This record gives sequence, C-alpha cells and structure tokens, in this order.
Amino acid sequence: MTTHLLKRELKRGSTELLVLALLEEQPRHGYDIARLIDERSQGSITYQVASLYPTLYRLENRDLIEGRWVEKAGQRRRRYYRLLPAGRKVLASQRSVWEGFFAGLDRVAHLTQG
Amino acid sequence: MDWNRIVGEAFGQRQMPEDDVIDELAQHADSAYQAARAEGSSGDEAERRVRELLQAWSADPDVLTRRPRRPSTVVPPKASASGLAGLLGDLRYALQLMRRQWTHTLVVVLTMALGIGASTVLFSVVYGVLVKPVPWPDADRLVRLLETRQGSTRPMRFFTNVTFLAWADKPATIERIGGWSSGRMTLSGTTGAERVIVAEVTSELLPLLGARLALGRPFDIDPANALDQHQVVIDDRLWHERFGGRRDVLGQVLRLDGASYRIAGVMTPSFGFPSRETRAWIPFVVKPGGLSMFQAIARLNPGVTPAQAQAEANARGRAAPDPGLVVMAVFGSKGPVQVSVVPLIESITGEVRPALFLLLVAAGLLLAAATANVASLQLARAMNRRREFAIRAALGAGGGRLVRQLLVENTLLGLVGGGFGLVLAAWLVRGLPSLLPADFPRIADIAIDWRVAAFSIGLSFAASIFFGLAPALHAGRVKLAPSLAEDGLAPVGGGTRTATARARLLLMAGQVAVAAVLLVGAAVLGRSFVALISADRGYDPSRVLTARLPLPDATYTPVRRAAALERVVDHLKRVPGVTAAAVSTGLPLVPGDTLAGFNMRSPRDGRDVQVHTSIRHVSPGYFEALRLRIRDGRGFTESDTAAARGVIVVNRVFARRYLGDKPVGSRVPSSYKHGETEAEVVGVVDDVSNGAVTDPVAPELYRCSLQLSDGFDDDVPSLIVRTAGEPLGVVPVLRSIVSGEDASVALESVMTMENRLATSLAKPRLYALLLGAFAVFALTIAGVGLFGVLSRIVSLRTREIGVRTALGAAPADVVRVVLQQAMVVTTGGIVVGLAISAAVGRYVSQLLYGVTPYDPVSYSVVSIVLILVVIVACIVPARRAARIDPARVLR
Repeated sequence: MTTHLLKRELKRGSTELLVLALLEEQPRHGYDIARLIDERSQGSITYQVASLYPTLYRLENRDLIEGRWVEKAGQRRRRYYRLLPAGRKVLASQRSVWEGFFAGLDRVAHLTQG
Repeated sequence: MDWNRIVGEAFGQRQMPEDDVIDELAQHADSAYQAARAEGSSGDEAERRVRELLQAWSADPDVLTRRPRRPSTVVPPKASASGLAGLLGDLRYALQLMRRQWTHTLVVVLTMALGIGASTVLFSVVYGVLVKPVPWPDADRLVRLLETRQGSTRPMRFFTNVTFLAWADKPATIERIGGWSSGRMTLSGTTGAERVIVAEVTSELLPLLGARLALGRPFDIDPANALDQHQVVIDDRLWHERFGGRRDVLGQVLRLDGASYRIAGVMTPSFGFPSRETRAWIPFVVKPGGLSMFQAIARLNPGVTPAQAQAEANARGRAAPDPGLVVMAVFGSKGPVQVSVVPLIESITGEVRPALFLLLVAAGLLLAAATANVASLQLARAMNRRREFAIRAALGAGGGRLVRQLLVENTLLGLVGGGFGLVLAAWLVRGLPSLLPADFPRIADIAIDWRVAAFSIGLSFAASIFFGLAPALHAGRVKLAPSLAEDGLAPVGGGTRTATARARLLLMAGQVAVAAVLLVGAAVLGRSFVALISADRGYDPSRVLTARLPLPDATYTPVRRAAALERVVDHLKRVPGVTAAAVSTGLPLVPGDTLAGFNMRSPRDGRDVQVHTSIRHVSPGYFEALRLRIRDGRGFTESDTAAARGVIVVNRVFARRYLGDKPVGSRVPSSYKHGETEAEVVGVVDDVSNGAVTDPVAPELYRCSLQLSDGFDDDVPSLIVRTAGEPLGVVPVLRSIVSGEDASVALESVMTMENRLATSLAKPRLYALLLGAFAVFALTIAGVGLFGVLSRIVSLRTREIGVRTALGAAPADVVRVVLQQAMVVTTGGIVVGLAISAAVGRYVSQLLYGVTPYDPVSYSVVSIVLILVVIVACIVPARRAARIDPARVLR
C-alpha cells in the first residue's frame, strides 16, 4: 500500500518534468507524448493519461510551452506543443531538483546497490 | 468514427469544454483507437479502451480549461476623451498596440525606413550638389566662361587669351574676369619630393571669388616683371604639413618643378578652388599673341543676366585680332567667336544633373511603393479590427473619435519608420564619398543638415497621412450591425466584393507598376553600361599597364629626357612577361592632346587644305602595346631613327579627310629636323576614342619619338606596358627601373588601362547600380505585398473554396482561382508600369549609350521577372487554398 502511494506521488510530481523533457527534443502532439512516456519507460511509468492534458494546459497557461494547430492534407488537425524559453529554464531547474532527490535517496536507501 | 461527437457525449452538455479541447481529445482518442486496432484488438475491445480513457478525462472537466484566447489586454482609451489628454491616451494606446503586434510594427517600420532612407539620401545629394549655394560670396553672380567657334562640333572646354584680353579691357557687364589652369607640379624640399596639384591663377581670380587669406596677401603682380611672378599662395594643409603652421612662413621659398617661389600668403582652410585638392596657387599672366587656352570665370555686375554678358563677350571676341590658322586646329572651325556664359553652379553640376533628377524620381517612386505597401497592410489590419471599432462605436465612440485614433496610430508608425530612415540615410551619406566617383562634383557639400532632416520628417508625416487615411476612412464608415453580425466569415466571392479588398488590389497593382518602371530603368541603364564597357574603342585595354613619368624641365632637357625614356623602355621590354612597352605624349582617356593646324596640298586634287589634327609622339611599340590595329601600311619600327627618313602614321579619320584613296606614301608637312619639310605617311591605324565613346573621333597624327631631333618635350610622358599575365604584377619592376634611372622621380597615376576605363565609366555604373538597388527593393516589397494580399484573399475565401471542393472542384481548379486573381492584378500593374516607362523614356535617353529607352529586351525581361516573382508569391497561398478541408470548413 505504501509503495503504491509513493509511486503515485512520484508520477504526479514528475509529469511536468517528463512533458518538458520530451518537448525539449522537438514539438510533439499529446498522443505522441503519452505514447513516448509509455515506450521509453518500458511500461514502468504507465501514465495516467487523464492528467496529460491538464498538465499541458497548465504548462501552456504558465507560458512554459506553446500549442499550435497544424494541418496536414488528408489528416485530422493536430495540436503541437513546443518548449518556450521559460520552459527550458524550468526544465533545467527541475532536472537538478530531481537529481538531488535521487542522490539523496541513493545515499539513504542504497538504490543502486539493488 | 466521429470521435468529436463521442468525446462531447462523454462530457455531457453541462460541463462541455471548449471546442479546441474537444478536438484535441478526439484526436488523441482516434490515435489510441487506431493503435489498439493495429495491435490486434477487435473493434469493440479498442473502443472499450478508449471509452475508459474518456471516462478518466471527463472525471474532472474543470482542469481541462485552456487559457482563454487572450483578448486584447490593451485597453482602448475612453470614448469621451478629447483635447490633449485624449491625444495622450491615443498615443499610449498606439504604443501599446505597436508593442503587442511587434511583427506587424517591424514590417511597417522597416518598409518605411527603407523608403524614407533612400529618398532622404537622394534629396541630400540633390540639395547638396544642385541647390545649396556655392560657398563664395554673391555666388549667384559668378559665371563660367567657355568659348568655341560657330560651326565647331567639339565640346566647349576652355576660354582663349584673345577673347579674355579683349573683354577684360573695361567690360560693361562684368565686374571682373579671372583665368586659371590647373595641373600637377613636383614639390621638392627637405622632406622629399611629391606631386601636388597647383593652380596658376590670374591676379584677379582670388579677389573675384572673395577668397580670404589666413596669412599674407593675394599676389599682386606686375606682368612685365618675370621675377615678380615667382610668388605662391599655399593652402592650409600644405602650410601645416611642410611648415608646421608657423606664422613666419611668409617670404620663405617653395620649390615647384625645380623653380623657387616666394610664399606670399596662406589660404583659409575652407577655400577650395578649382578643386579641394589644390595645394598652391601661383600667378598666371594672360599674354597676347597666338592662341592659348585656359579656364575662366567672371563676376557679373548686379542686375546683369548671363545672356547680356554673353552678348558683350561675343561682340568683344569677334572684334579681337584673328589669331590665324591655329583657331582651325583648336576648334575645327573658323567661324565667329561664340562664348557661353553659364552660372558657375550649373557648370559645375550640369553633367550630373539629369542623372540626379532621375534617381530622385526613382527614390520617390520607391517611397510611393513602400507607402502603398504599408497602406495595404494597414487596411488589412483595419479589417481585422472591425469588431473592435464596432464595439467601441456601440459604446459611444463617434466616427471622428475612431478616425483620430487611427491617424495617431499611423502617424506614430510613420514617424518611427521615418526616424529609422533618417538614421539609415545619415549612415549612408557618411559612406557616400567612398561610393561616389572621385570626379563627382561637390561631394563635400553633401550632408544631412536640418533642411534634409525636415524634408525627411515631412515626408514620413505625409506618407503616414496617406497610409493612415484609407483605414481611417474605412473606420469612419463602420456599420454597427453588419460588423457585429459578421463572424469573420466572408460571403462567397468575398475576395473583390468589398471596397477595401478592391482598394488593396489597386494598391497592389500600383506597387507592381512602380517595380516595373524601376526595373525597366535599371535594365536599360545596365545594358547601356555593358555597351559602354564593351564598346570598340579601337584598342584592347586588357592586360595593359599605364603610368605617367614626370621628368620636370628644371632637371631634364628634351634631349636628356628622350634618352632616359629610351633606356626605361628598353629595360621594360626585357622584363619577362612584358610583351610590348612604349612611351607616348598621351594616353586614351587622359585629357591633354597637343593640337596643331597647318596647310597642305591635298593628294586628292592638289588643292590647298587646312589640316587640323591632334599630334602624338609615340615610340615604336606603342601600337603593339595598345593593340591598336594597323589598317594599312606599317607602324613605327626601331629603324625609324633620327638618321632615317621622317615617317608618320595617321588615323583613319585623318586619312579619309585629308589624304584620299591611297594614304600610305602621301607626304604631310611635319618635319622632324631642320632642312626637312615633310614626312611620309607609312601607315594608317584605327580610330581611337580618347575620351568618351560618344565623342566624335578627331583626326590624329602619330610621330615617331625616336626621330625627334629636338628631343622629347612633354615633361610628363606616359608609359604603356602590355603584359602576358596580370599587368599590376609588373609595377614593382617598373618602379625599380624608374628609380634606377633617376631616384628623384616618382611614377604617378599607375593604373591598368582597364582600370582607367572603369574609372571613366564610374558614373554610369553608379547610376545603374543605384537604380538596380531601388528596383530590387521595389520588387521585394511588391512580392511580399502580393503574398500578403493573396494570403488574405485565400483566408477570406476559405468557405467558398471549401464549398467548391466539396462540390467536386479539383485542387488545380482552386489554385487557378487564386492565380487568376493575382495575374489580373499583376498584368494590370505590368502594363501600366511599362506604359509609364515608355512615356518617360525620352528623359532617360541622354544617359544611354547603345540602347534605346524603349529597348524590347529590357521590357521583355522585366515582364518575365515580374511574372516569376508573382508566381513565387502565389505558391504558398495557392497551396493553402488547395489543401482546405471541405469537411472542416463546412462543419
């Protein structure tokens, strides 16, 4: 039960980091982001898709990312998000917070020793 | 599967998020469904998974709110505001709008800055060169005097001693008359020798110009006392360079061309006559007898017109004693004296006047195109702001209120653009001296002063009123109900329905027309320049090095000079890579021909004819060095020495005019030594254009320098070297040969012949380049403007195009609709532009060579270029039109 709770908290807190990191590579649409999180974490972060769009909209409201409709012939129009300069800064600071957090966890709980 | 509907149902009417969110979630749902199917799930299974997703989403719809489309956070000023406070409010609002729509602002400001900048530069040049008074007191009474003979076809370049002396004696229409001639002299002293420009001036000239001396007095000389004439007035630069600006300089000695001159005065720094480069002035006495040529100006009596002075000068000149046959040689006619009296400023700037006016008009056209472009942009923006205006009108803002607001906005934009234009112009004007040909008149007078700045600001103001007026009129007419009712969706066929759309198309056509006019001008001037540079001048200027070698009379007798030159040329011929070398008394494109007139018996009919010809002394190898074609007989050889029979070579004009069918073998009175009266014509060479290609070629007689028993008497001979490789590579060798001959002399004017040619064509090249730059800019703004208008038309007609596509129109049909509109606009613009070009063509014709102002090649090329640009500008809007998804449009 406690493990389950921790996992959920971690997931929620990390959502922003994951989204910003994926948008750092290139502009992407929502489905693409969800799919990549699933694929790259090899299923260990099965992502609560319900929180994806609220996160995207929140990040957009904070001017960290910017969404734009793109139309391609013969396709549904898709909303692509791209990282804004402010988002890049937030991503960097979140990365260092998470790095510190993991280093601390490691020192206490010896994660890497398995 | 209609995911939009399914997503909408999942939320239920009560908590429906906005359409965009539904659209985005539906897109996700669709992708998830397709992915599940691809993984092998059945349709039902896949739909079940997606519905789970939808349930999770719709659990908390509140977090699915996107930031609302930000409405203008710029708060419009109050409707009731009036007076100064209202104006300030408008200004603040306009500034905020400019910041918010910064890309639009940038485009407008840049366009205006370039238009205003170009016009300002041209205005500053026209003002500084043509309009600004010359710096001498009562300059409007100063006139330039030039003389010719009735019937002469040669351009007027000088005044003669005969008319000068006849008129200087108690003239009625002029206060004073002054003469000068200017040239280079070797200034020697403790700091080494240098060649400086020195003007010989009559004692009247400096007072006539109102010259004030910083030190000493202008020379006042006794024409009878030759020693008295060795005085000099030096300029400020020479005073500081050679004498450290010391006040005890008066009475000291300056050595010019080996002779001593006593310093009588120092000129103020601002004085620069005949040119700014003049370093010193020495006395010049106009002597009676014979015919001598120099430059002259006069100061008119108050109230006298140039025409009255001209009448007096003609009468005096015609009453003067006839100097005889030499008149024929100089003027090519023995008709009565004809004097031209023109205001000094006109004579200084007359040559560049037509070109400057042409360029000023071109800059004006460019500004007009830029203004039209901005007007079109502002109109489009006004269309987008209809709702804003309508709402504000509904809230009580009167039509006049909105018009004022728009005028404030546009004037601000225009003034900012104009400000940047002025900065750009100031920057360009600073670079002008290095850009303009060195012989461009009055370069020092070109500057951005308050008049130019006022012109520029006034122009920006006028332009903003123009481009602000259309949107303002539009706003004044906004109808409340239709504007509020209309939802940004234009009715079918909206592209040209509204007055605004028509106005934009008209502005567009105008821009295309301006681009066409400027392009035609640039093309015609460009082709004329190419014709000038590739015109057959009778010689081959490639791979030829030329230089002038001053061997002053003070140290060289003509005989000694001839020997020195022979040694230099012999040396040169042995340098590897040199294929021919020669010395001569002149070079093509370098003024200063020796003219002669004599009688001879015509070989044609035995009658006496009067010959007038220019004479050139050249060494054997001259024709080879310039690759001057020999049409008949032979050129000079090393065996044509003083001991041999005297021989000459003439050009074709000489042969045709004086020698008849068999020129070679004819005898012409031209003696090399005592006891010899005639020389034999041994060859005929091609005509060489020594000045501009357009000048008629005069008869020319070449004498062999090796045969001159009296030596070489031109103290600044020219060297001509033809090389196998790069001619400038020979320069170090040439310098060392010359300094080996005499370390105290220095080569001057070392240039390739091609370089001389390019320098002589610097003005036509400048005009073509400037007009070309204007044309490219006009073409760019026309292209970008067209792109903007077409994009707007496509977005306005989205509905119509959607309907057409839904009804079965192929993408090609849709593209054709867009292209059609563009082509109608452009074709109209091109036709008008070409018609205007043809109508103004005759004003340009005097600037052209070898091409007519109606040149069909230029006209065709310009049309093709414009059509290509239009096609490029159409591609993106047309593709967008073709991709419009009818389903989305109709939903």
